[in-house]
Amino acid sequence: MIKIPTKVLLVDDEKDFIEMLSLRLKEVGERITVAHSGQEGLDALEKADIDVVILDIKMPGMDGIETLTEIKKKYPLVEVIMLTGHGSTETAVQGMKLGAFDYLMKPADFNDLTAKLEGARKRKDEQEERIRKAEAKFLLRKSGGIF
Amino acid sequence: MKDIRLLLVDDEDDFRQTLAKRLAKKGIPPEQAENGEKALSILEKKEMDVVVLDVKMPGMDGIEVLHHIKKKHPRTEVIFLTGHAATQDGVDGIKTGAFDYLSKPIEFEHLLSKIKQAYDKIEREEEKLREAQFRNKMEHQMATTERLASLGTLAAGVAHEINNPLAIINESAGWLKLIISKEEMAQMPRKQDFEMALNKIEKGVDRARRITHQLLGFAKKDDSVMAEVNLSELADEAIQLVSREMANKEIEIIRETAPDTGTIWSDPYQLRQVLINLITNAIHATESGGKITVMLEAVNGEINLTVQDSGQGIPKENLDKIFEPFFSTKSPGEGTGLGLSVTRGIIEKLGGTIRVKSRLGHGTSFCITLPRYYEIKEGLDQDERIPFLDNLAKQSGSTQ
Repeated sequence: MIKIPTKVLLVDDEKDFIEMLSLRLKEVGERITVAHSGQEGLDALEKADIDVVILDIKMPGMDGIETLTEIKKKYPLVEVIMLTGHGSTETAVQGMKLGAFDYLMKPADFNDLTAKLEGARKRKDEQEERIRKAEAKFLLRKSGGIF
Repeated sequence: MKDIRLLLVDDEDDFRQTLAKRLAKKGIPPEQAENGEKALSILEKKEMDVVVLDVKMPGMDGIEVLHHIKKKHPRTEVIFLTGHAATQDGVDGIKTGAFDYLSKPIEFEHLLSKIKQAYDKIEREEEKLREAQFRNKMEHQMATTERLASLGTLAAGVAHEINNPLAIINESAGWLKLIISKEEMAQMPRKQDFEMALNKIEKGVDRARRITHQLLGFAKKDDSVMAEVNLSELADEAIQLVSREMANKEIEIIRETAPDTGTIWSDPYQLRQVLINLITNAIHATESGGKITVMLEAVNGEINLTVQDSGQGIPKENLDKIFEPFFSTKSPGEGTGLGLSVTRGIIEKLGGTIRVKSRLGHGTSFCITLPRYYEIKEGLDQDERIPFLDNLAKQSGSTQ
């Protein structure tokens, strides 16, 4: 079976971490874009087509929650998985209330990560599918089709 | 008048019995002995506050009896009765440790007030002793609490900082593993060595991760969900989660729930964690074929939860340490030494207490008391944990 790559954007100020995680994800066939800050992440979203963002909560400058809010405002269909280096799950929960798909604690188990990645990608695909169908219906009605 | 336990020792029967009657009328009925040997055997059986002791007796004399009393019953006070004008006897008595002496013929009121004085002295000494013990205990407890508080803060900070490099190691090792599992790498020289070493790295990371995650849970202050909790159902759930381990060791689990237990208002997730911790510990402590009992009862508006095992028990010298972080008797890699400190942290946060009782060879029981209703105080910072260094600075400025 040929794997359809998920287009992932990694946002974290820990450069070594981003580098290694992107190499690992590329190795299993994902397509990776990296950004080292919230702002860089938003810029990347503007340029590239992204399915899922893996977003560190704690970053200098624009933090994870702010970045998440911006992402969801501009790109509501893009799914976000929050990464947290510390124990407070409240921030992660807050993130999920703001529309994040899920969260992971660092260091994350790779199987967990890929499972959540897949889940996020699936949710995005399904949502896009529903939108397409709704659009099709709408177009059909407009052009005086069967209905 | 308080119950003074008094022993009267004199070989003159008439004198002793008359005195005893008068003392009884004043509310101090004394025990009686007609010689030193008898007096000592009475003291052996029954503790006395005050002994009124005649110096001149056939057989063992007063000074000798006094020696014995002071050696074996240091808290008992002795009043000497000396012959007329035999001041030297009295002085010797006081030197040996008597409270005071009275010369015969004695004045009854005088004796009565001496007895009371001697008794007051005992009470004062006991009070002093109790105070000293209490102060000692408090100082010990405060030192422990302070040490744990700063240790907890430090540990959480370290854990947090370590998670990032740990994640880097984790991803690097995982990536290498992926690479060498590729088809093009099938012929790689010494491939197995690489695989072995990479697996070890991953296992090591996993171990470190368990520790850091637990540490962070340990320091977590304000992350609670309050709900109506049925402890009995929660216990069933926790037992279910560890049932495989229990079945492997053929351990029998016994549930005792008093009918009026009802529900409490608390944090179900954290309490479940507590139950799992305690039951898992019990399983580890219990030999194959042993028993674990989980008991629930309501007492004065509070709930008592007891987890009791039939394991080997905890040596006395370890009982003080088991709630401290990183104390573990399990071999490295098996226990983080954090289970019980996390447990206590949770219970105290939920307004409860945890106690341990243990007898070597008979088993251990942990008893938790939880209030039916409890409001968690809001923390200073709800959202973000204060960064490590800030916290340390705070810690040194004030004690939490």
